Formats: sequence, structure tokens, C-alpha cells
Amino acid sequence: MSKIQSFFKSKKGQRALIIVGFSIIPLILLLVFTYYPFLEMIKFSFYNMRYAGARKFVGFKNYITLFNKREIAGSLVLSLYYMVGAVIQISIALYLATILSMKVRMGGLFKGLIFFPFLINGIAIGFIFKFFYTRGFVLDTVLSWIGFNMETLPYWLKDQAINNWSLVYSSFWKYLGQNMVLFIGAIMSVDAALYEAAELDGANKFQQFRYIILPSIKTIVTLNIILSITGSLSAFEAPYVITSGNNGTGTFFVVMNKIAHTDQKVGLASAMAVFLLVVILICTLIQKLLFKYIFRNANTDDESLKAKKAREKEAKAKLKAIKAEQKALKAAKGGN
Amino acid sequence: MKFKKVMALSMAAVMAASLAACGSSDTTDTQTTGAETAETTEATEATETTEDSASADGSLQYKDVVLGETGTDITTTIKVLSHRTDMLTDDYNGTSWADYVAAFNEQYPGITVEIEGITDYANDALLRLQGEDWGDIMMIPAVTKADLATYFMSYGTEEDVSALVNYTTNWTYNGEVYGIPTTANAQGIVYNKRVFEEAGVTELPKTPEEFIAALQAVKDYDSSIVPLYTNYAANWTLGAWDAYISGGATGLSSWTNDSLIHGSNPFADPGDGTGAYNVYKILYDAVAAGLTEDDFSTTDWESSKTMINNGEIATMVLGSWAVPQMQGAGENADDIGYMPFPITVDGKQYAAAGPDYNFGINVNSDDTNKLASLIFVKWMTEESGFSYNEGGLPIAADDTNVPDIYQAFTDAGVTYVVDDPAIEGEEDLMNELNSESSLNINNGGNDKVAAIIEDASTQSRTFDEIMEEWNATWTEAQEIVGVTVNE
Repeated sequence: MSKIQSFFKSKKGQRALIIVGFSIIPLILLLVFTYYPFLEMIKFSFYNMRYAGARKFVGFKNYITLFNKREIAGSLVLSLYYMVGAVIQISIALYLATILSMKVRMGGLFKGLIFFPFLINGIAIGFIFKFFYTRGFVLDTVLSWIGFNMETLPYWLKDQAINNWSLVYSSFWKYLGQNMVLFIGAIMSVDAALYEAAELDGANKFQQFRYIILPSIKTIVTLNIILSITGSLSAFEAPYVITSGNNGTGTFFVVMNKIAHTDQKVGLASAMAVFLLVVILICTLIQKLLFKYIFRNANTDDESLKAKKAREKEAKAKLKAIKAEQKALKAAKGGN
Repeated sequence: MKFKKVMALSMAAVMAASLAACGSSDTTDTQTTGAETAETTEATEATETTEDSASADGSLQYKDVVLGETGTDITTTIKVLSHRTDMLTDDYNGTSWADYVAAFNEQYPGITVEIEGITDYANDALLRLQGEDWGDIMMIPAVTKADLATYFMSYGTEEDVSALVNYTTNWTYNGEVYGIPTTANAQGIVYNKRVFEEAGVTELPKTPEEFIAALQAVKDYDSSIVPLYTNYAANWTLGAWDAYISGGATGLSSWTNDSLIHGSNPFADPGDGTGAYNVYKILYDAVAAGLTEDDFSTTDWESSKTMINNGEIATMVLGSWAVPQMQGAGENADDIGYMPFPITVDGKQYAAAGPDYNFGINVNSDDTNKLASLIFVKWMTEESGFSYNEGGLPIAADDTNVPDIYQAFTDAGVTYVVDDPAIEGEEDLMNELNSESSLNINNGGNDKVAAIIEDASTQSRTFDEIMEEWNATWTEAQEIVGVTVNE
């Protein structure tokens, strides 16, 4: 008894108590509301089940259906539209952010204007664009002002060749500002002295961007790209609100929603969710590797890549040696 | 230090208060009418009278209630959950809940009726049902039939109740009836009478060909009028097409629960202009012939009501519930008509009819409230005129008062067909087949109808190809679920 008491009174005990005390609540919340439902979902993906009624274990059948269903495969292809949109969006956001972080007249106003769409609720944006694209409404009228013939204009949402681009544009319009603001924030943190030094060395603006700004904000660029790719794979609001996912615009999430709620195939929908998770993990991994390759020179300063690698190897080897030593020590202590 | 402690405490208090505020509901509004107090002595008396009127086995029955005689001395308060929030507002232009309750209290002054309106009824009602003290009467939401008895009181046997009430099959399980319909609708087509007249369509079309010809006549008369508005963009409106394929297109009350479930290739062309095939074919042909709106992808539900009222739209395929909305959307209420679906089976037209929401009585209420609820439900059915006022078909079996909007149905000698209840032991088959086939017949299967419009517009598939695919997925679903298929 007194041993326990003295443990809790000791510095070590107090520290353990505080650590446990502070982390137990968030940990429980995390486990109960994030990981437990997630594990349940993985379990569901092996069942043939509806919300109510009996469940039947079917093994990997849902995953097989997943690859055989034309609807689902088609919806994944649609993500490519959104990914292309995301690449363009990030490039333009980066471009605007670079310009706006230099001295620009009314820069604040432009930042505000470009950021503004992000503040609007996604559903509201859906309705805005529904009317924007309606035959003879906003877009058609504006285009007819600048000389387009109303008759020759395409049906923005009806024509299956362009309706996905129309939808991609609406999400581009929304998220451009957010990307840009994140970039501006990162660029602000770059030491201004670097620009001066670069200018003295005769670097032009593009070179400054390439060799100073881009390497300094690569974390934010990576983050934005990960978010955009994840967002492309899970595009939902625009196709759901504007076209209800019909007419060849059903993205993965819209199809998943239909399968889970209209068809009530909870098992298949769970399998889709797990599959999407795997796809996102793979995309993130590929993108990480790609960036490692692109920015391989960023932190090397003068030393060559080879030298850097050699040094890293050496460091690793050292670390290993130290660890091994510690292990041996511990073992020795245990023996005593 | 002390200050910090006080701060922390008050912060905690504020946070707790804000959490509590989150819990309180603000979407519901309650209305109380009639006598407010129920004294304990009276309540006990009431319980005694309940026992008298209960039938031999101790359960209350719909048939045993005689309005004006049974339970006139009851004093209690019953609570009703309703989806009709509009009927709680003062500016409702029909008979409001307050009017009904007032009329009810003339006969039963002791029974206080509280009506609670729920905006998102279909979802919220299911949640409320899980907590047991939701009230005494609710509109039965989408529960599984097998669970009916755990939530709701039986009104009596199927035989007894269906002798007094129409359309009871929806909530009948194991021979017991758990729901009395509030009102019932028949399936037809909303149309603008004036436009039809001006376009020279004097006789209402009776076959798909005549209907397409009528649409063409409208287009020829004035190309700015949309002959058939699909309401494609609203999406949920497309599911309405499923309601016509059963009794209305075949004249068979057994179609949904037998011919569809057990039939081989139920979407094949029967060759005589009837059946599911020809219902959807009307849509395909109309779109292919350019008889629908120019850009279906940007249709707007709210403005379509005004457009049909003003004569800019000739027809819309929707249930009769839509008629009052179309009439109220402009100044030309008299122009809006409702006509039978243009399919004739052996020289006769049919219309599928079915109940709207049903009254269900809480099985966990005490006997006094159960009896009071039973009285209220019977009164709503037999004396309130509710169904007639709401433009529905009569619910009480001896009621022959059909609203004006069904005039065209009466003129055409339309027979109303009510779907038979599911074959015993097969109550869940339809759900399973819908789920496996993804067609979701009468269950929010809007996408398949949307696909018909898309394919007709782009001509990417012929109608026969679409129906073949449906037949194939249906057959596959029948195999997976293990349904016996009649050849």
C-alpha cells in the first residue's frame, strides 16, 4: 500500500499519473469514435448486409463485386477529371500566391476576392452553379455578351463530353482561394534576406521562385497536393448537388452513397470505403516518393547527393550500433 | 490562484451549458387545444370505463368503437406526431389541425389532443420510435413489418378492419392490422386542361400512342410549351414513374408482390401496350421525340409548379399529392387536371391506388390513452373528412365522397387497383431484390429512370436494350436471393 502511495508521490509516479490523466480522455475518444467504427466498417465489408435484417458472411465477395461493377470502375475514372483539375488549381494558386506575396497594388482585395468562395457552403455553391450552367442563364448570357451565338453554345450539364469539366470547375472555383492562402502563408515565412542575396547574385524572379520559394514551402505544397488528391478521389458535393450523380457524373462517393443508402448494400459500400482508403494511401505514397525525388537537392547545399547518402548511411549505422549497445547493457542489467 | 480557479469553474459551466443547448430540439412545435387538465380522480374513472369497453380478451378493437358512444366520459391527453407541419400554421389554406381538433372536441370534450409537427418526418419519426414515450399516435414510418407489434397496437384482424377501412394492406402483418391510412392517392398524370384544349386534344389519351400524339399536338400548337416536363434534375421526382407499373399498367392487384417478384423477365414487352415496359417506354419515346424540356439537366422543381399553372408545361407524371401544389402555385388553379395513366388493358383503364401515411397507436401507452387514440383515429377516418379535404380517395369503406380532381378518372370508368399484401413469408423479398438488382422499384430508384432519359437523349442505347439489361439484373437478383421464378 505504502509502496503504491510512495510511487504516486514520487516524481516518476506523478509524471506517469499526469501523462495518463491527460491522454486517457482523448485516447478513449479517438478509440471509441474513430478506430472502433473504422474496424467495424472493415468487418462489415466482409458481410452481405442491409441496415436491418440478418447479416451473412461472404468473405471477399464484396471486393470482387467492386472490381466487376461497371458503375464503380467508371466512377474511379471520373476522379482523373478532378485530379487534372486539382493540378491546374494548385499551379494557378501557387502562381497567384507568388505574385500576391510580392508588392501588388490592392493585393489584400484580390486575396479576399479569391478566397471568398471558400467561405461559401458547398451545397450553396452547388445551387449557384446549377443556375450558372442552366440553359440561357448566367454563363450563356455572359458568353452571348462577348459575341458567342447562343445556339452554338454547348449544354454545360447535359452534354456528357463536358459536364464533368463543368463540375470540376465549380470545385476549382471553391478551393483555389484556400490553396492560395495556404501558399501565401508559407511564402510569408521565407526570410526576405534570401531574396536580396539572390538579387545581388543576379537571380531573376523565376529563379527566385524556383530556388528559394519552392524549396522553402515544399511541405505546404506536399500537403496541398495530398489534400487535393484525396479531395479528387472523394469529390462529392458538386456532382451530388448539381447533377445528383446522373448523366455520367457519378463520382466514387456519389456511387457509394447510392449503394449504401438507396440500394442498402452496406457491405459493398464498406468495401468501397476500405478500397478508397487503400487507393488514397497508395496515391500518397507515390506522391511522397515523387517529391523526395524532385526535392532531392533541396537541403544538400554544397555537398553532392552521393555524399549526403553516404553520410546518412553512416549516421544510421552509428544509430544501430548505439542501440545494440543499449540492448546489451539492458540484458546485462536484467541478468543481475 | 483563486481567480484562476473561478475562471476555470465558470468556463466549465459555460461549456456545459452550451452542450446542453445543443441537446435541446428546435425543429418541433407543439400545439395544445381543448381541456388542459386531467385530474387524477377522473383518470381513474376513465380507466374503469376502458375496461368495460374492451373486448373479451382484453384488447381494444377498431370495430368495437362506436363514435359518440364509446368513451365519451374519458378525460385524458393524447399526443399525435404528424408529418403535416404545414397544417399547424395559421395560414394553411385548407382545414388545419386546430380545426380538426376543435371539431373532435365538440364530440369528445374530455380528450385533449396535442399535435406535434416534425419537419423531416421520415427520418426523425424512426428515431423517435426508438424512445418509447414519443406520444400515442404517429404516422407509421418505414419500419420492418416484423417489428410492427413491438411498436404499435393492433386495430384488429385483417378481416374485421378491412370491412370498415380501405387500403389497410400496407401495415398488415400476420393477419393483424397496425395502421389506418390517413388518406389515399391514385396514380395519374398532372396536366394543364387549358393547354390540352387549345392544342386540340379534346379526348384524354388512353394508350401510349395516343399520349405521345397528344404531346406532339401540344408541341405543334406552341413549341414554347413543354409537352412533358421530366423534372430530371430534382431526381426524386423520377421515382414517381415506378408507381404506374403495377396495377395501373396491368390491372392486376397481384403484380408487385407476385408477377414482379416471381415473374421471369417482368420488364419484357408484353406486346399489347401494357405492363412496365410500356410505362417507361412512354418516357423514352417522349424524350427521343424531343417532347420534353430542351435541357433536362437543369430543370427546376419549384418553378415547374408555376410553369404548369401558367400553361408553359402541358403534363407531368406525378402522384395526386402534387395536384394541390400545382393548383396553389399560380392564379390558374382551375386549369390543373389529373388524368388516368394512358394505358388500357383489354379496353379498360386502371389506376394504382394506395395509402399515404398510416395512423399507428403506441402499444406502450396506457389503456385510457389507447382507447382515446383509437377513438381519435376512427373519428379522423369516418367523420373528419380529412381524406376528402386533402384530395384523397375515401378511407372509410362506406364513404363514396371522391374529390373533384378524380373527375377524369370517374368519367373514364377507371378501376382503382390496390396492391395485394406481400405473400406470407415473403414480406422482405421485394427489399432484397431491390437491393441486389439496384433497380429499387418504388424505393427511390431514381437513377435508373434518369438513365432512360439520358439514353433516349443521346440515343446511346435503344429502349429494348435498357429493358433487357433490367431483366438481366432482375433475373440475377432473383437467383442470388433464391426466388422461385414462374415461367
